[in-house]
Amino acid sequence: MSMPSVDPDPTRSPPGRAGSGDGPSRGAWVSGLSVPSFAACLELGMEPLGLAQGVAVMQWAWYVGTYGMPALPAPTGRRQYSETWRCPHGFVGAEHRSYGFNYEQTWVEGNWANGFGLAYRRMLDEAEALGAHGVIGVVDQMRHTAGSGTAEFLIRGTAVRVPGAAVPSTPFATYLSGQRLTKLVDTGYVPVGIAAALSSVQMIGYCTTQYQLAGSTAMTWGGGGVEPITQVVRAKGAALRLAREHVRAQLGTDALHGATFDAFEHEVGEADFTFQCLVKGTRVRFVGHVEPPAQPGLVVSLR
Amino acid sequence: MSSPTAERLRAAVDTLANGGSGPAGTKEHARAITSDLTIDEVLMLHSIGWQPVDLVFGLAWWSIPWGVWQYRTGEVAEASSAFGAAVDEASRTLREECRAAGGTGVVGVQLDLDVRSHHVEIALTGTAIRPVPGAHGSGVTPPKGPPFTSDLSARDFTLLLRAGWWPTELVAGASFVIAPRRSARQWAAQKGQNVELTNLTTALYSAREGAMARMQELGVSQQADGIVGVRLREGPIGRGVRAMQFVALGTTVRALGEGHRALAPEMVVSMVDPVDQFDAASLRRRR
Repeated sequence: MSMPSVDPDPTRSPPGRAGSGDGPSRGAWVSGLSVPSFAACLELGMEPLGLAQGVAVMQWAWYVGTYGMPALPAPTGRRQYSETWRCPHGFVGAEHRSYGFNYEQTWVEGNWANGFGLAYRRMLDEAEALGAHGVIGVVDQMRHTAGSGTAEFLIRGTAVRVPGAAVPSTPFATYLSGQRLTKLVDTGYVPVGIAAALSSVQMIGYCTTQYQLAGSTAMTWGGGGVEPITQVVRAKGAALRLAREHVRAQLGTDALHGATFDAFEHEVGEADFTFQCLVKGTRVRFVGHVEPPAQPGLVVSLR
Repeated sequence: MSSPTAERLRAAVDTLANGGSGPAGTKEHARAITSDLTIDEVLMLHSIGWQPVDLVFGLAWWSIPWGVWQYRTGEVAEASSAFGAAVDEASRTLREECRAAGGTGVVGVQLDLDVRSHHVEIALTGTAIRPVPGAHGSGVTPPKGPPFTSDLSARDFTLLLRAGWWPTELVAGASFVIAPRRSARQWAAQKGQNVELTNLTTALYSAREGAMARMQELGVSQQADGIVGVRLREGPIGRGVRAMQFVALGTTVRALGEGHRALAPEMVVSMVDPVDQFDAASLRRRR
């Protein structure tokens, strides 16, 4: 009994399914669209060609060295966010947290961007091989494979052809499908691609932050006061702003539409946190002047 | 024959393939717009001549001193005051971000609120919006002043503006109260009976009074006509059944110059019949 061979090139399109530009795809196509989204896709004049998918599995570890210095060199090319917090008390004892650090974990951000980017590129390559103009109804997933220190990135969507239109050098991609995509096109926009970024900021609390989070004041170790915990706000704020700026850097002069914005915090030790923020959305371009829609009528439904 | 939308899509993909940037590449759109609004919300804003500008945030963590939750009854003033300061700081940061982005106000705010033993944390995430230059959608000129903050959705904002009202600020009040213990005599008398625990009821009333009064005071200080979309959180706070919380949060509004405009919605009756469900049990009964 012969075993099926494993395709060594994960970006290669399935045999017999590659599209030929304007020609129809061979065989029955596969689509991830719901029936209403499929109907809207046809109404838009699109033809589904196949389910394009991209996968990348990355080694995933934290690699944090002493006092927050990364064990791996940070990617160069832009300045990394970092702040140092110094104890106001003078020498107190060996266990006293004399310094605190906030720093951007660019190696975590870079690893996420590489994994997501590889899977995304592979999905587009599959769509391109099918002769698609774009990929609609994109869904993505990132999960850690338990116990193995890996992260799996999976992106898929329905490759579509727009008959009569010139083929873009890179297929467009969008999380939208169905009526939302129709409305986007009707308002003069065209989807360009997926824009996504993860930011990651590590906070190693210094003595004041440690005392504040434990409910005691910074100066007297007694019953504390009601005061702002500045180091935490600076770290979390940096994570949110970095995510926004990373994604903005992918947009050029286009817009990010329907972004999802997820912030996570992990308390990794007493007064130590990792703040992460994930922003994802569809990059859209305004290509035509469209009259603003009329003010919608107001109705009250009687039942 | 293809639909106008299909024609529009074909032309748009042609533009994309030819590397055209369209009007978005002009100086007017030099800064990329980011927004977490849906296409429906963007359309709703466009219909009144407004547009999204940028994602904006407001954050605050304030400490609550050690020991305030033990060996006392009545309001935990430190926690209430930490909450008030945190909301104020988060709202102020949100407004500053909005102003820096060139926005007139913030809608679609997602509120993450956590009250823990030793700190209060608040995160506000929303989309800054502004009127489209030269558009006359709603016929409303935004009043001069700092950008508004709100917890309104884009739909709420559209309706509010069409009705001649203007949001001013996200306001909140909170009160945390520890109910007194029952005496041994009360405990013995109530044991084995389902009766009202008046100490807890009173504590919740007290927390409610404190929270609502604080929120209303903020409204008055804003010279607001009222507060809309009030959200409440009440009940035990999770560190003992005797600690009660009451949190109220809403958006202050003010009537614009001409006052309220009647929206006069049209009444509609849906003609769609309910779908008949196939019921296998009824078939069995007919046998």
